[in-house]
Amino acid sequence: MQTLASLDYAIILAYLIGTLALGLYIGSKIKTGSDYFLAGRRLPWWAIGMSLVATDIGAVDIVGTGGAAYQHGLAVGNFEWIGCVPAMIIGAFVFIPFFWRSGVYTIPEYMERRFNVAVRSALAVCWIIFMACNLGIMLLASAKMMHVHLGLTVNQCIYLTAFLVGVYTISGGLAAVVYTDMIQCLIMIGGCLLVLVLGIIDLGGIEQFHTKIKQQEQIQRQKQAESAAEQQTLNTAQNELHTSLILPADADTPFPWTGIFFGLALILSPAYWIGNQAIVQRSLGAKSEFDAKAAYVWGALLKNLIPVVVAVPGLIAFVKFPELTDGDQAFPELISHLLPVGLKGLFLAAFLAALMSSIDSYLNSASTIVTNDFYKRFYRRDASDQSLLKIGRIVTLLLVFWAIGFSFFLMKRSEGIYTIFQTLMAFFQGPALAILLTGLLWKRATGIAAFVGFIVGVCFSITLFTLNQEAVYTWLDIDPLFQISEPFLYFSIWAFVVSFSLIVIISFLTKPEPSEKIEGLVFGTKPKRRQA
Amino acid sequence: MTPLHHIGNFIRDLVVQIPLWCVRALFLGTLIAVFLWVLRLPRETTTPDNATHWYQNLKIWACLALAIQIVIYSIF
Repeated sequence: MQTLASLDYAIILAYLIGTLALGLYIGSKIKTGSDYFLAGRRLPWWAIGMSLVATDIGAVDIVGTGGAAYQHGLAVGNFEWIGCVPAMIIGAFVFIPFFWRSGVYTIPEYMERRFNVAVRSALAVCWIIFMACNLGIMLLASAKMMHVHLGLTVNQCIYLTAFLVGVYTISGGLAAVVYTDMIQCLIMIGGCLLVLVLGIIDLGGIEQFHTKIKQQEQIQRQKQAESAAEQQTLNTAQNELHTSLILPADADTPFPWTGIFFGLALILSPAYWIGNQAIVQRSLGAKSEFDAKAAYVWGALLKNLIPVVVAVPGLIAFVKFPELTDGDQAFPELISHLLPVGLKGLFLAAFLAALMSSIDSYLNSASTIVTNDFYKRFYRRDASDQSLLKIGRIVTLLLVFWAIGFSFFLMKRSEGIYTIFQTLMAFFQGPALAILLTGLLWKRATGIAAFVGFIVGVCFSITLFTLNQEAVYTWLDIDPLFQISEPFLYFSIWAFVVSFSLIVIISFLTKPEPSEKIEGLVFGTKPKRRQA
Repeated sequence: MTPLHHIGNFIRDLVVQIPLWCVRALFLGTLIAVFLWVLRLPRETTTPDNATHWYQNLKIWACLALAIQIVIYSIF
């Protein structure tokens, strides 16, 4: 992949120009804040569904998932399968229509209607910190991968990406994000499918692929047994780990079944698909309630395909290049060895598509939160729709500058900072789900309880994270709390349990919310008509 | 050792004893439960107001997505 031909560059350029032109064309039709933040509520289900998938899979995920599959096997596919599909289906028929009918712009806005302004602000602050940090991380991580292949410096890649994504997001808002995401989704799946098909053909077909995985696992186990003093410690239950989705609770992997089921499927996944502003915002812009539901079902169908095109290439690399020391090299090695001239350009376009589709969504959603949950809520409550459009564009521009600055700041820091920010989401997703579920499903939940539950839950997950840092537990002379390398799934479980328990207890101890306040905001109460 | 360590160790010892076939049943059971719930949804919540064709019923596509999941978790 290091040597791109003119044809490769032509394909990449065509993709970039096409995306920019589409974004600017859509931008020329944007007239109001509603057009900008919710695409005028005119989005069709097929575009939203593909945008949901494209936003969820970033360029870092393509390389990272392939790398994780190389190192830990197919279990990484859980993040796209049981970690998405059931939550998307339940979200489609239960939560998304509810939000769509309520006519809100953001999830924090719903929180104020249901609870109080403190809950809204706390959630909005968490989201804006997460999104702002994530923008810098995504820019830097992607630039580090891109510069090798494009022959540019990391700095140039950061500026180039920020410029391209910034221009069409500032211009076209959510509509530009969704329609460019749709194209990016097609290119991304097509590019990864290409690697998958060529990889399997190269290995001699599916049967050969399966046989070779087993052989390679056997070789690795023998090596481990030779290096381990006690051969009998190699558990027979760990056979075929590379092709198993369900791994033992004590397996040496970040994906034991306990974390996957309780942390991912029951907590992180519903929190992400029904509570993540960057995800939910596009369904709030659907042209009808049916379109909002259909988008999630369509997205769930597409999600079935994602691990096949993203994780399985990691397994192909596991067979083809067993000597790799870094799993993240799996995808680049495959590209380098499998793809001919022209197709390398197509894959790199797919890689750029994955990168841009995530950054544009977070840019647009962060701008929506700043404009609606801070500017309009605390500064100009009577702001007109036209002025909100102007503010939204200015905030998006400022976020682009912030993302560039923060990515340069991260460049000078150690690698550890990435891990901290990867864990950021797990810090507040559990508590966020607790307030969302109790708010939507339980009339008795009160504002004070939700606020205390949320803040204590976030503090609790940060405490767990801190106690699990080597420097801290060594200093305190205690054992680490968790025995797996990246226990972020467990943080979310415990933070959810603490938040949920506190909300229930404090709600019973405080005065119930007036019934007229929660009417139409909790299941089982009379629905309100959608506001224009 | 903090109280959190004791709680953690107790739970860890408990879940390690659960055989993997039980875990697979838990995963499949969850997916099947969602599948059955979708099947029981009233038609008016899964189709548009002016639906004229069978493929406009979201229940079919949601069940398809879940059925693929059930097959995947049965095999792998």
